[in-house]
Amino acid sequence: MNWNSVMVLAAVILIAGCGSKENFVVLSPANDGSVGSLQVATDKGSEILSEDGKAIFIDDLNSVPSPQLPINRADTQLIFQDALRVHPLMPESFILYFHINSNDLTDESKKIIVNILAAIKKRESKDISVIGHTDRTGSDEYNRKLSLERAQLVFNILSSEKVTSEDMTIIYHGEGNPLVPTADNMAEPRNRRVEVMVR
Amino acid sequence: MKKTAMPFCLVVLLVCTLPFPAFAEGKIIGKVKGLRGLVSILRDGKTKPAFPNDRIYQSDILLTGSDGAVGILLEDNTLISMGPISRVSMDKYTFAPATNEYAMRLNMGHGTFVYQSGLLGKLAPHAVELNTPVGRISMLKEETNFKARFAEHAQ
Repeated sequence: MNWNSVMVLAAVILIAGCGSKENFVVLSPANDGSVGSLQVATDKGSEILSEDGKAIFIDDLNSVPSPQLPINRADTQLIFQDALRVHPLMPESFILYFHINSNDLTDESKKIIVNILAAIKKRESKDISVIGHTDRTGSDEYNRKLSLERAQLVFNILSSEKVTSEDMTIIYHGEGNPLVPTADNMAEPRNRRVEVMVR
Repeated sequence: MKKTAMPFCLVVLLVCTLPFPAFAEGKIIGKVKGLRGLVSILRDGKTKPAFPNDRIYQSDILLTGSDGAVGILLEDNTLISMGPISRVSMDKYTFAPATNEYAMRLNMGHGTFVYQSGLLGKLAPHAVELNTPVGRISMLKEETNFKARFAEHAQ
């Protein structure tokens, strides 16, 4: 047996001794590069995973998990590429504001409609909620009606832009669900709104 | 005989007109969003093929074939996708911010998984329990996202 084959044999034994690398957990960084933290626990012990680019490897339920070890990023990407290809986009929410006591959109908000349409198209979404709200000026009853009118108006705008009506759901809260809590009868522009949730 | 026939008909009529979500096990917890190849849903002992926008109910088991992959969106915006020959069971799910009730217990089987936290992972990371063939994963921080692979033979 020459020196080379001894080295190869030693390497094989070393790798085998490290156990299988088939089971592992790795953190995914958020858009800003930050990662969370989790614990992996078997029947024999537990380890904490808290660093980007590292993984915990686990042989089975009756073994101690590995400490967090570096993992090749390109390999990881390859292993998860099929799942990543169908990974859904995070739902997106848009808020449209109204002039006081009316169902007229502010000019700023009219410009957001195009972003809503883009979000719907990107997701091929059939799951769009149009949620109406008012501030606390006026009676409960009046505000319930106004919040419905506002939601209806946004529904109609989206319909006219060829969003399928069946894909949208109207919800209205009156003054009962303010973005900024106020005393009754307080005018608050940030509460006169329709939220469009695209899922 | 004639006496009992009428109430029986009424009962049948009542049962038939009950909307599906009236059943306790019919709790909708999410939807299928992305899908490729063959993906099945195992529900009440029956397997059916899954399609985009299909609803997912508590206790459903999702399975992908050798060319399959599926991405799901849960009510709280948790996103989970899995690659070929993977399996996940949606054991328990409660997302009720109004009453402060949060629970999620998923059983990941073999396969490749991409997990992205939603509101549950933000508001109540401790309420997320993830069982795998080789151990339990629990969240120590808000908004923890991860990927994991579990081999078929691990048990």
